[in-house]
Amino acid sequence: MIIAAGELYPIFEWAKELLTGLGLPEVWQHLIIYGALAAILFGTLSVFALFLVWWERKIAAHIQQRFGPMRVGWHGWYQTIMDAVKLLQKEDIRVAIRDKAVFFWAPVLCFVAAFLAYVVMPFGEGLIVADLNIGILYIMAVTTFTVIALLMAGWGSHNKYALLGGMRSAAQVVSYEVPMAVSLLAIVVFTGSLSMQDIVNSQSGYIWNWFIFKVPFGPIAFITYTIAAVAEANRVPFDIPEAESELVAGYNVEYSGMKFAMFFLAEFINLFTVSAIATTVFFGGWNGPLLPSWVWFLLKTFGIVLLMMLFRWTYPRLRVDQLMKFAWKFLVPVTFANLILAGIIKYYGWYW
Amino acid sequence: MALRTEEFQVNMGPHHPATHGVCRMVLTMDGEKVIKIEPVIGYLHRAIEKICENRTYPQCLPLMDRFEYVTSMATNQVFSMAAEKLAEIEVPERAEYLRVIMVELNRIASHLIFYGVTAMDLGAYTPFLYGLRERELILDLFEETCGQRLTYNYIRIGGVSKDILPGFDKKAHAALDTIEQKLEDYEGLLNENPIWLVRTKGVGVLPAEVAIQYGVSGPSLRASGVDYDIRRDDPYSVYHKFDWEVPTRQNGDTFDRYIQRLDEIRVSIKILRQAIDGLPEGDIKAKVKPKFKPKEGEVYNRIESARGEMGCHLVSDGTVKPVRVKLRGSSYNNLQAIPAFATNCMIADLVAIFATMDIILPECDR
Amino acid sequence: MTREELVAYIGSHFEGKLTEMETGKFDPWFEVKAEDLVEVCQKLHDDENLKFDFLCDLAGNDTRERFEVSYKLVSLTLKHRLDLRVALDYEGAEIESVQHIWAGANWHEREVWELYGINIKNHDNLTRFLLHDEWDEGFPMRKDWDGKDFVRLPEI
Repeated sequence: MIIAAGELYPIFEWAKELLTGLGLPEVWQHLIIYGALAAILFGTLSVFALFLVWWERKIAAHIQQRFGPMRVGWHGWYQTIMDAVKLLQKEDIRVAIRDKAVFFWAPVLCFVAAFLAYVVMPFGEGLIVADLNIGILYIMAVTTFTVIALLMAGWGSHNKYALLGGMRSAAQVVSYEVPMAVSLLAIVVFTGSLSMQDIVNSQSGYIWNWFIFKVPFGPIAFITYTIAAVAEANRVPFDIPEAESELVAGYNVEYSGMKFAMFFLAEFINLFTVSAIATTVFFGGWNGPLLPSWVWFLLKTFGIVLLMMLFRWTYPRLRVDQLMKFAWKFLVPVTFANLILAGIIKYYGWYW
Repeated sequence: MALRTEEFQVNMGPHHPATHGVCRMVLTMDGEKVIKIEPVIGYLHRAIEKICENRTYPQCLPLMDRFEYVTSMATNQVFSMAAEKLAEIEVPERAEYLRVIMVELNRIASHLIFYGVTAMDLGAYTPFLYGLRERELILDLFEETCGQRLTYNYIRIGGVSKDILPGFDKKAHAALDTIEQKLEDYEGLLNENPIWLVRTKGVGVLPAEVAIQYGVSGPSLRASGVDYDIRRDDPYSVYHKFDWEVPTRQNGDTFDRYIQRLDEIRVSIKILRQAIDGLPEGDIKAKVKPKFKPKEGEVYNRIESARGEMGCHLVSDGTVKPVRVKLRGSSYNNLQAIPAFATNCMIADLVAIFATMDIILPECDR
Repeated sequence: MTREELVAYIGSHFEGKLTEMETGKFDPWFEVKAEDLVEVCQKLHDDENLKFDFLCDLAGNDTRERFEVSYKLVSLTLKHRLDLRVALDYEGAEIESVQHIWAGANWHEREVWELYGINIKNHDNLTRFLLHDEWDEGFPMRKDWDGKDFVRLPEI
């Protein structure tokens, strides 16, 4: 059984002893421990999502020379909690829809799929739920669940606008999966391992060991990965699926109340996921002097999230055919060339 | 088995963030392409013309404000000038200068809204707030002069209603300096952005012949290469005393219409500086009888408002109430031209075209 | 062309189809009969020295004795202006469409039909426009129209 090592190991030892002392069999012990881990992970990520919503509003406001939420607590820090309370008490509008099951399960699937990637996310030295040896492959597989959820939302809403939005978003996410995966593959070729902890460990030491500094394929992979990640997270300049001024909120136009809140939070969790992957693969994960490792991880991830937020509030959005053209005609060839380059560099040993 | 595709109808309904008011467009679409556009208007029809037949001439003026509330100084001016032509009233020079100052400030405010709303429709949310921030400087000037921020009722028959306060010229010059400097920021934010260029260049080309056929006027016409500006070609008020040029552009696509309006802000700033510095002393209103009765006759008066040619056809029979007030709004013809050149574009392009034609629905519906 | 030249040119080229009206020193107004309208408009549009290619406005009017439809024309290249007026009786008021000369006349004529009841011949889309689709209470801009809630204010 893969159990986290490092900082949390004494806590797990203690928990195991406690449970063995209670006389529970092995299977039950593992179930309880993993159940507790899942609950902690879910709680932490929900708090991160709420924090990200508030942070986005403040950043947007300061870019636009206004203040953002200021009344609800100091600088509006619990605004999101109040918004969640408001959404909870809203009426759950159900239009005359034919496919009730699809309509109901779409937000659930979206929300669950957003969390699945955190099983292999290295939050710190030893702070990982399960260090699968196919870490990156697992993440790539799991982030595709969102496509199904968006298609279900578009179909089940029984609304032309929602259907258009769902179709567009499915096309976009599927198209940008390829450059995203192949950019990460360039780094995987270099490391020789798909496991997330191995990738982070091979960047330990000094700051120039980070993969983003492994010129020339590192920066290229980072840039193409960021573009593809912004498209995966459905954010401007790629936010066609939820373009307010064109399709009036696209695939989630018929959802209200808590179901809408699930889509909304899932979007922010997706944003955090792609930033966390970028941190792990390009910026050295939790490596860093002086501060605890999870603090470094959070700082770097929030830095990349800030970068993506700045994109949102500066750029206009691309039209859907321009988006597709850009993905297939530009990003895919560039990322494949980058992969070949990384392979050649690794084979001949032209790196430091 | 061959795949069958079907056209479907989508309603860009009256409630829509991108239609600038309550315009409904029934689109027949084939996938992403729009094959047929049919604008349906009338959702904001308030029967202004019918009501005006039941009011005296000064009572009509606040109604004119609501005819087009974004540039309501111009709407007041077009009606007042028509009434003055019929009654053969000579407006004092100070009043004419004040009219020019207010109308040009209003033109800048309207173009700033255009800038913000166009950027917002294309996905860049930040320029909207930047444009409105500059517009607040102008609205402060209006508020201190006539007390209102949007529907002014300032330009009256015979002149203007109130004189400007003593510190007006300093504040106005400061505001104009700020706006001119911030215009460079706006252009730097969007003009060379590849995403903006790929969304607007070559999109929605309005050929000059189509524009002339449909009666499109104003910046949309000048961006297509036709050099026609009523302030220069059919001179009214004191525009001939200032030194300014009419900008035009050649291609007539969305990008050109966007740049055209930013250029027109610069032209307005130039006129305004000369007008504020050259403001003469004198009366602000000619002597007009309380029961204003113009001569019998009819006149059509046109001015250049922010959107194009705004006209007022006034028919009078010598009594205190007009017989007919017909208002010609430029958005009426601009909107009519859209199906003629915007067919076979994508729906995202249609949003961009609609935004840059600068359509304001109250002008269409009255 | 200046105003006098324009008036003289029209007087000589249009064989009395256009009669000038008294308008003082503003743009010249001409009155034309309904049967001659399309021919006159076509000639105004095509003639080399006139070239009235821009139709500003097309308005209906109900003086209490008759209907009038007025056309305001501008030449963008030669920079002169002209206004036309057609007088129609109340019964059987009909007029030909000029949308094949100036395409922008389409909506204006539709509005004139809807609000005044003047029939427009050869128009391709005479349907409800500014009023709502189930409107059946008459033609509102006529002077004798009395809708419910329309209160005539007392004379001053």
